[in-house]
Amino acid sequence: MTGYEIVSIDELDQYASSDGTLVLSPLRRRIGFQPAGVNVWVGRKAGDRVIEEHTQSDGQEELYVVLRGAARFDLGEDSFDVTVGGFVHAPGGLFRGAIALADDTRVLAVGAKAEEAYVPSAWEDFYLAFAYLRGGDEAAGRAAMNEALEREPDDWRGSYNAACFEALAGNTDAAFERLQEALERNPRDLLPYLGSDTDLDVLRGDPRFAELTR
Amino acid sequence: MSVVHLDDLDAIELPDGFVWRPVRRHFDIRAFGVNAYTAREAGGQIVEEHTEGSLGHEEIYLVLRGRARFTVDGNDHELGPGQLVFVRDPELRRGAVALDADTAVLALGGKPGVAHTVSAWEAMFAAVPASRAEDWDEAIRIHQEALEEQPEHGALLYNLACMEARGGRRLDALLHLQRAVQLEPKWAEYASKDSDFAAIRSEPGFPGA
Repeated sequence: MTGYEIVSIDELDQYASSDGTLVLSPLRRRIGFQPAGVNVWVGRKAGDRVIEEHTQSDGQEELYVVLRGAARFDLGEDSFDVTVGGFVHAPGGLFRGAIALADDTRVLAVGAKAEEAYVPSAWEDFYLAFAYLRGGDEAAGRAAMNEALEREPDDWRGSYNAACFEALAGNTDAAFERLQEALERNPRDLLPYLGSDTDLDVLRGDPRFAELTR
Repeated sequence: MSVVHLDDLDAIELPDGFVWRPVRRHFDIRAFGVNAYTAREAGGQIVEEHTEGSLGHEEIYLVLRGRARFTVDGNDHELGPGQLVFVRDPELRRGAVALDADTAVLALGGKPGVAHTVSAWEAMFAAVPASRAEDWDEAIRIHQEALEEQPEHGALLYNLACMEARGGRRLDALLHLQRAVQLEPKWAEYASKDSDFAAIRSEPGFPGA
């Protein structure tokens, strides 16, 4: 690893989300940047979602920078059309999301929490784990999943995501083990997902599934 | 305001000729360092030559528009929109010259493993327009505001003393200069040659006097 590196956003890999509505180019993982989370989101066509609708319940503040194209940002109750060189700042609790207004829109997203050293969130690893699996590379997906589980080893969502991963990979026994683990950690939050998550469809005919939800 | 365009940010022209666009300061971002720089003309400096050795920052420099020639650790790289240089090693010397008029570069950084602290140089840069206009009250206010967060910052105290000396606040200048020298003795030598202190250099208690 040298002391510096040149990168183009066009060289970054692109990974679509499981429902195909978002495309991530993971910059932080690519270069190993440590002070903050930093990624590029891609809107391939005008009208595509380029920033997921969400709030940062963990208090992370985020800055979005339009690098190419244009995007309509929703911030709280307001809406803004932002062009190249435009900055959007979203404090943790503020609802935000964006739609691309031009083909091949690129938005840089930077995030971290004030007064805390930055620690990468597991969501990037989960996101990539499923993207690798969908792309046929189970080994890379499993490596990313294991990284996520190491980051947040006691979180029920880790166990749940691992269960989904194993179910999609066809590893039924491992999927049930992970579901049981998630259930023991947080039954109240887990149960609503069990009825509707299509990742788990392959498990539904198994008697163990009915046993879990009893 | 949660949304701003680069061209609507303050444009503070610094002595080396590049223009600082204070993104972090505009939004009062506390979690990481982020700024933009623009160059009025091709050939102008757009990222000053420096290292991040004293701050220990990792830095990303991303070209937002135009083109720039980055020199990192003695190597030249011409970058256009969407291209970036990530300088992992804080000790590496880096800088950039704009190759097109109105080139813009985003700089993003922080020190790994610690909560972000606002860099003191931001207040010093922010005070440049007031200093140029000899609005010493405003320049002093900007430094005092930064010192509320970092009261023992030698360079901030030294610069505050400079502004106070120029603004006729002789006693305040002397006290803040003395404190800066207590914290970092190097400031005594700087002060001995600094024309900002011409009015107080013969005062009893002037460092090195």
